[in-house]
Amino acid sequence: MTTSALRIRGLAKSFDKPVIAGLDLDIAAGELYALLGPNGAGKTTTLRMVAGLAAPDAGSIEIFGIDTQRDPLGAKAITAWLPDEAMLYDKLTPLEYLAFVAGLWRMGPAHAAAEADRLLQWLDLWEQRDTRCEGFSRGMKQKVALAGALIHDPRLLILDEPLTGLDATMARLVKDALRAQVDAGKTVIVTTHILEVAERMADRIGIIAGGRLLAEGTLQDLRDRAGTAGMTL
Amino acid sequence: MTITPAGSFVWLALHELRLAFRSRATRGAARWIGYLLLAGWLVIGCITGWALRDTPIPVPPEAMIGVLAVSVLGLTFMTAQAMIGSQRTLYERGDLPLLLSAPIPGRSVLLAKLLGIAATIALTYAALLLPIVLPVAILGHSRLLGLVALLIALALVAAALGLALTLAIARLVGPRAARTIGQVVAAVLGGALFLVTQLLPQDEGRSSTFAALFDRLRTARIGTSGISALPGHAALGDPLAILVVLAVGVAAFAAAGATLERAFLSGYLDGSATVSRSRPSGRASARLFHPGLTRTVFAKEWTLLKRDPALAFQIVLRLIYLVPLFLGLVGGRHALPIPAALAFASVLITSQLVGSFAWLTVSAEDAPDLLSVAPVARAQVDRAKLLAAFAMAAPFALLFPIAIGVQTLVGAAITLVMTVLGGGAAGYIELKLGKPGKRGAFNKRRSGSIVAGILSLLVALVFGGGAAGLVFLVSGGIAVP
Repeated sequence: MTTSALRIRGLAKSFDKPVIAGLDLDIAAGELYALLGPNGAGKTTTLRMVAGLAAPDAGSIEIFGIDTQRDPLGAKAITAWLPDEAMLYDKLTPLEYLAFVAGLWRMGPAHAAAEADRLLQWLDLWEQRDTRCEGFSRGMKQKVALAGALIHDPRLLILDEPLTGLDATMARLVKDALRAQVDAGKTVIVTTHILEVAERMADRIGIIAGGRLLAEGTLQDLRDRAGTAGMTL
Repeated sequence: MTITPAGSFVWLALHELRLAFRSRATRGAARWIGYLLLAGWLVIGCITGWALRDTPIPVPPEAMIGVLAVSVLGLTFMTAQAMIGSQRTLYERGDLPLLLSAPIPGRSVLLAKLLGIAATIALTYAALLLPIVLPVAILGHSRLLGLVALLIALALVAAALGLALTLAIARLVGPRAARTIGQVVAAVLGGALFLVTQLLPQDEGRSSTFAALFDRLRTARIGTSGISALPGHAALGDPLAILVVLAVGVAAFAAAGATLERAFLSGYLDGSATVSRSRPSGRASARLFHPGLTRTVFAKEWTLLKRDPALAFQIVLRLIYLVPLFLGLVGGRHALPIPAALAFASVLITSQLVGSFAWLTVSAEDAPDLLSVAPVARAQVDRAKLLAAFAMAAPFALLFPIAIGVQTLVGAAITLVMTVLGGGAAGYIELKLGKPGKRGAFNKRRSGSIVAGILSLLVALVFGGGAAGLVFLVSGGIAVP
């Protein structure tokens, strides 16, 4: 039986008007799932609720069987959230930032240090490990943020528009890093409004609009359902 | 905006004035409180104007000296404000890239920015001055409109001086250090005159340093004759004096435009090239990793504060404004015995410091989402941050109890306990009532948490008064030698 990494039932959220209206979603463990939709569709709002940044008005969210509202800390312990704007401290170095994140996730110092060194080298940040983040380019900040998301070995990795603003080399690095996570048995969810990104990265794609899941499946499934060779949004 | 040619200096200046006006606007409850205060102030002005409508206002020499003194004091505050405004223009993300990449002469951009800074300064003081001055002037004392001219002239001079000082600092120490040192200089400038007046030797028989200073100025005829009398004459409506002060203001403004254009452009270019600092620690990376949430949070907060010396300086500099209070407590005719005065000061200073550091650690969090997604309870994080704030204030908090301990150990212990309680209360108030903000906006932090500010002060006074009373009792009222 396939383990469920993320199970959402009847999710609803309103601000001035309904943003999510009765969303159901199932994501299996070990897959790379792309949530695709236009701007304002509710992708980020949905995943912010999964990450614990916002409380739903209705519905339930379970991460590997852990109810995020009953046991929020338990859910957060196995989840990593990477927004489109990196959550960094300009005056910290990458190494110091990783030390802080490791502390928040209560990692043992020795293990955290070893993981930090490994990630910084893997993401080609070793030379900048003692340089403050304030002068980094967007791509470098994203790498630091990605290292922060990976250091505590999350089972579920959630990334909001991870390739926005990145050059081709950085985008390739991020895609390879995410695929490596999936190959290692982790579950990755990305949001994007660009079909090509979803095409190239995802095992399955969910199309969301108006706060509802309109369709989901592999790219071929979606194309077959649409009855056309190519789709545009 | 369509009445002037687009891209002209006047067009750009009107745009900057609009921005300056909108930058003062607040939202929500703060806006309505502001309107109410303004309305109340205006009512007082109207009542005053009505009461004085048929009454000639005497102008003794002291009034002229007073205007001069206030003008000089105001100019230092305004120049400090202008330095901060210039730093924001040069070193923070704004519209300079847009303006300088447009086909508009650089001098027009510089003068428009200066005008915006001057307008921001003038609006600040106009809100205090005009609701009183205008009704009185309209109801029979039109010569007081000279105060408006004086305010405009001071704002123009301050804007020019502020920019010149900022660019001079950048040339001396380089763009990277200029931001930090510029903020420090601005902070010191704002408090310098005030502090100097408190440190002047007090004459025997004088009730205050200001009275002694007044006498000296009157004796030397400063403020009542010659150039020094210009501000006074202008404020009281002398047309020639008004023309002269306005001419001085406009001349300073024009001179800044004529001489600082190149420095302004290179200052902007240097400041926009942010280069990361890199100082290889040479330490094993494992030493940066700490067990436990409290140590992790403390390490992060301490590192951020260490790397922002201007911010740390601003926090400590606020204590300078407590110096007059302290001098009044230990000196003068109604002085407290030293241990009691020190006890009061200990609680007051620590409360201020803990409140400020707590705002930095709790409310001015740079990455709140990171803490929200982390598997840590919010209450735990907040406790760790409060402890960090307390630890930062601890060196200052220990100074006074140690000093008291020289005379009375029990007094020292009482002071320490009350200091910890007062500081803890201040930190707790900031935790519960503080409003989120940016670290760079430290000086504006109270704009959204007036209640927190008032409560913190009350708590500090209660605990401070208690500390002073108890120490006075146990020390047997040891007098000042």
